This record gives sequence, C-alpha cells and structure tokens, in this order.
Amino acid sequence: MKKALALVLAMILLLCSASFAVAEDAKTLTVVAWDAGTTPYLAAQKEAFEASHPGVTLEYIDVASQDYAKKTSTMLSGGDTSDVFMVKEITDLLNWQAAGYEEPLNSYIEASGYDLSGFAGIESNYAVDGEQYALPFRSDFWVLYYNKDLFDAAGVDYPTNDMTWEQYAELAKKMTDADKGIYGTHYHTWLSAVVNWDVCDGVNTLIDGNYDDLAYFYELYQDLEDAGACMPYNELKAAGLHYSAAFENGNIAMLPMGYWFVSTLIGAIKDGTCSFNWGIVAVPHKEDVAAGSSFGNLTGAMINAKSANKDLAWEYISWLAGEEGALATASTGTRPAWVSDAVASAMASADGFPTDEASKAALIPTAVSVEIPASEHSSEISTVLNEEHSLIMTRESTIEEGIAEMNERVAEILG
Amino acid sequence: MIGSNGRMVKRSRTRYERRKELIAYSFLAPNFIGFAVFTLVPVLFSIYLSFVKWKGGAFSTMEWVGLGNYTEIFKTAKVAEKGLGYLFTKVDLGIALKNTVFYTLVTVPLTLVCAIALALALNRAVKGAVGFRTVFFFPYVASMVAICVCWRFMMMKDGPINQFLMALGSGYNKSWTADSTMAIWSIILVSVWRNMGYYMVIYLAALQGVPADLYEAATMDGANKAQQFFHVTLPQLRPTTFFASTMLIISCFKIYDVVAIMTEGGPGRSTKMLVTYIYDEAFTNFNYGTASAIAMVLLVIVLIFTLAQFSTESKYANN
Repeated sequence: MKKALALVLAMILLLCSASFAVAEDAKTLTVVAWDAGTTPYLAAQKEAFEASHPGVTLEYIDVASQDYAKKTSTMLSGGDTSDVFMVKEITDLLNWQAAGYEEPLNSYIEASGYDLSGFAGIESNYAVDGEQYALPFRSDFWVLYYNKDLFDAAGVDYPTNDMTWEQYAELAKKMTDADKGIYGTHYHTWLSAVVNWDVCDGVNTLIDGNYDDLAYFYELYQDLEDAGACMPYNELKAAGLHYSAAFENGNIAMLPMGYWFVSTLIGAIKDGTCSFNWGIVAVPHKEDVAAGSSFGNLTGAMINAKSANKDLAWEYISWLAGEEGALATASTGTRPAWVSDAVASAMASADGFPTDEASKAALIPTAVSVEIPASEHSSEISTVLNEEHSLIMTRESTIEEGIAEMNERVAEILG
Repeated sequence: MIGSNGRMVKRSRTRYERRKELIAYSFLAPNFIGFAVFTLVPVLFSIYLSFVKWKGGAFSTMEWVGLGNYTEIFKTAKVAEKGLGYLFTKVDLGIALKNTVFYTLVTVPLTLVCAIALALALNRAVKGAVGFRTVFFFPYVASMVAICVCWRFMMMKDGPINQFLMALGSGYNKSWTADSTMAIWSIILVSVWRNMGYYMVIYLAALQGVPADLYEAATMDGANKAQQFFHVTLPQLRPTTFFASTMLIISCFKIYDVVAIMTEGGPGRSTKMLVTYIYDEAFTNFNYGTASAIAMVLLVIVLIFTLAQFSTESKYANN
C-alpha cells in the first residue's frame, strides 16, 4: 500500500517536472501590461514579434490601467516571476529600482552592442546613476483632439497648432451648445489633465514645492465649468466616466489628452463604436511659452530580476524599443520612443490617422517636458497634490486654500 | 497529580493516552500551521518592519531606525511644537484615526439599532418573513464592488437619493462622494445597509432564546410592549449585543473596500481611513516601515477590543 502511494507520488512529481520542461521548450515570455485586450499596439507588437521570432509565444498578463501601479507593485513585492513588466510611470520605475525588482541592463546593452541613439537622449529618464533599468518604446505627449464634424456643423474654424489658453477657452465656450448637449471641451479628472500644462515651459516642475502658478489653470478650468463648457468634475467622478467613452459619444468638441488616445480612437472608429471625423493639434500654450510645447510621459519595459528567461526577455525589450518594434507600434497610430525617418512616415501614414496638414504637424512637438520628474519623493508629492486637487475640483477648497495647502504639505515632505 | 502525602507525583502516562493526545494534536495541526504561516509570521514580520526603513526588495537593504517610523507618522516634533490640534487636522495619521473613530462611533450603534429593529419586525409570523430575511441578508453576500458602484450612482448630484431628499424639501444638491462633509456619511450609510442583515440573523437567533414565560410574567405585571422591550428583551439580548458590537467595532476599524471604491479616501483626506492610509504608504509610496508602524497602531486598537471581548465572554460563560 505504502509502496503504491510512493509510486503514485513519484509519478505526479515526474509529470510536473515534465510539463515544466515542455513549457520551456515552447518558450513563452510573460509580459505584464495594462488593458492588453483593448490596446491595439500591444496586439500589433505581439504579432510582429512572434513572426520574427519563431517558436516564441508572447503572453500578456492584463492589469486594468487604473490599478496598474498598485497591482504590479503588489505582484513584484510578492515575488512574481513574470518576465517583463511594462513601465507606466517613471516613479514606478524608481520605486521598483530601489526595491531591487529590476534587472540592470548595461551589461546586456554592452554585450549586444545596442545602439541607444534612436531615443535621442530620452532613455536617460529610465537610468539611475548611469545604469539603464528599462527601455522606452512609447513616448506620449499631450495633444488637443477635436471633433471636426461638430466644428463643421457649427461653422466654426478648427483649432490651430498655435493657440493661447485664452483663445482655447473662448473657442470652447463658442462651441458649447447646451440645447444640443454639446460641450466645448472635456477635462478628465486627473490632475495632469487640468494643471500639468504649467510644466510646459520647461522650468516649472510638479516636484519643486511651489504651486502658485497652478492657479492660472484652475481658474481657467473653473471658468469653463461655470460656463457649462465642460462636464462638471463631480459628475465625472461619481459616474466614473472614462474620457474615451466621453469623446467617442460625439458631443464633445475638444479634448486635451495624451497621444496614446490616437490608437484607441482609430480602433473605436474602425470597429464602429463611433463615427466622426477628427483631428489633432498642438495643445494651447501660455503667452510666454513657445507654441507646440507639451508635456508627456514615457512608457517602457523592464526585465523582472526574478525572471527565469532573462536573455529572451532582453531580446524582446530590445526588439520592442528598437526600430522594428517602433514600426509595429507606429502602425497602430501610437508614437514610439524610437524616432527615425521610417518611423515618422509610418506614424503619419497609419491607417485611420487624420490626413490634414495640421494633424501631421502636431506629430512633431517643439518641446516636451516630463509630466512629473522622478525623485525620491515623487510618489508622496503626487499623493498630496492629488488630494488637494480633488478638494479644489470639488470646490471644497478655494483655489488659494488648495494651493497654499499644496505648498505647505510638499514643503514638509521636502523637509 | 497530587499524591496522598501532598507531593506531586509524576504518573507515567499510558501509551493509549499519549496516542490520544497525538491524535488530538494532529487534528489541530493543519489549522495551527496555517495560522502560523499565514498570520503569525506576517504579524511578527510586520512588527519588525515597523522599526526599519525598507522600500522592499532584498532584506539586506533594511535599515534599523528604532522608533523613527513612529515619530514620523505621529509627526511628534511638529505636534509637540503646535499642539494636539495639529495632529488631528494636519497629520495623515491623526486625520485617518479621527475619520476611522468617527466612522466606527456612528456605524456601530446605527447598525445594531437597525439590526434589532429588523429582527423584531421579522421575528413575528409576518407573511413572507423568510423572503424579507433573505432580502435583508443579501447585501452581506453580494459583491461589494457592484454594490458600491450602484450607491455612488444613487448619491450623484441628480441621483435618486438627492431627488428624494429634494421632494422632502431639502436644498442639498451635490454628489455625496464629492462633498467633504457628506462623503463619510455615504460610507457609513453603505456599511450599515450592508451589515445590518448579518446582525439581524444573529439577533433573530437570540430572540428565539428569550424564554416566553418572562413576557407572560411581564404582561401579568401590566407591562406594556415598550416596557417589555426595554426590561425583558434588551437585557436578555445583552450577550448578543456585546458580541455583535465588538465584532462590528473590529470590522469598522478595518474598513477598506467601501472607501476604496466609493471615494478613494477623498475629497482631500476627508475619508482617509487607517487601512487606506496603510495601503497608500505601502503600495503607492513603498514605505513599508511607516506602513507597518501604522498597522501596529491599528493592531493595538483592535487587540484592546478583542481582549475585552474575550474576558467578557468568559464572564458570561461562567454565569
């Protein structure tokens, strides 16, 4: 009896190890990403990568975008062994680096002679003390989306690549038509959608401890909200309305949003979720800031220090960030971090991308600042700013009170 | 055992007894091992963590800071300088404590009152009592996420609840969850609604145990229904009420899900609770040390109520 039991157990063990061996042979690379089911560029990248790497299967582990930072951090601190993690925010990268979750990349770069010049220096945001920890494959900056059909119907000229915030506010009010339920513009609930414009001058940052300048953008917003030119923050928050659903509904004339929304919008029009003509222009600027200045974020990929397939993972992220991956990314209308002539023309010729000259010109910004620079205190400062942001937006604090609190609380963090 | 001469005598245990003991332990073992691995070790680890600075990753990166995390979360230097008011109006921990205590103080009595009322109403032979019991118990087993999203909609600016209040003559028109004063009430309301069904079932069971002759005697003495309730029913329910309130207090201090879905701790810090604060410190800011220190504050609070529960329970048992 005992012998039989031992035999059965041994068989089970054998079977287990055998199935592991099979899995290793087929070479599956697990990649943790957000909204994997609905993001077109992830599908295009997977297809192109698997085509050029026979025998390798890419498997996305999907995490909802709004929970990405928390979920992935919990996974990593729990010793998750997924091979590659997409990096959504630079602050995540910094936190993960400090915690030792990331495989340092310099040795891989040297060994393979990888050329970083295509990133035009932007990859340095992923380096800590000279050591590279991730490679960027997307570089999104914010642009202004607009619904051409609404402008045509109202007989109003389209927005341009050179508008001040005052001109933009005027235009938003002009396009608003309460009777038809048309809003001139739309602000998503994020702090970045409302006041991050302050960093476009390349001097201000959100971690410098002085937030007095944000008042200009809060006043601009409250003026538009009072005029009924955008949906009220409180309603958006209570309804949990996503900006894509709002814009795709077809009753919003303008939407300042990150470049990533291009591929979502192209996809939505292709699958019939919505049908209208649209275009992009550069975001508005303050009088004293150059037209075409924006802020943005990098998206990259890093190798999990606990991965068992590090060489394959490097093969993947170097491919993804390089020209081949960039072409796959650009084919869906997403802006890759790697920029070459081939990539630039691929972007403009992406199926579904608007064909007007202004939209093409908006592809090349004058200057792009980082949304929130990485620092030891970035995430704590973000928490404070977001808390005070919600108070200002719900009008629980006046703009002055809210900004005074931001200044005071961040000063405490900075010590 | 004590021998006839009054001295301890070591009695050699029989094989049979030892075997019986081993069997008993072997039945306890799976549960105890589970407790040790998944509860005891993490708790001990967390106590240790509250004395170190650690951003996660390799254990070698831990840096011993003694009580540093505690002085940091209580902002002792600032509080000593500016007074206790500063702790409860400006410091994250003070605000989270204040919110959690307020939430508990309101939620616990409100839930108990609702639960007793429901239990009394459904304890009679009402038509469809079983159906009603199921209806009231349902929120307790339903998905919290779905429930909270529904409530958030109901509490919107032009939502059904505000419309109802407006019909009653209230001039209130804001989203509850976007109002610093009302946000915590929205959480209290949902919590009470969710928990009352569970405690109703407990009270229903307890009501069955109240001897009918007590009511008979009270009626003979001329007590009316209200007097019967206050002098017979309530005292008879006391052990149940004590048990229910302790369990509720503990679960209230650990409130997380409703807050995370309904308000995310906002607006501002108006619904920041101890557990949401721990979560933010640990998984947004990666300060495992301070997060563990906050967890210790919570542990002490919960421990006090648990010990009170245990000691009183043994008192009831002895009587």
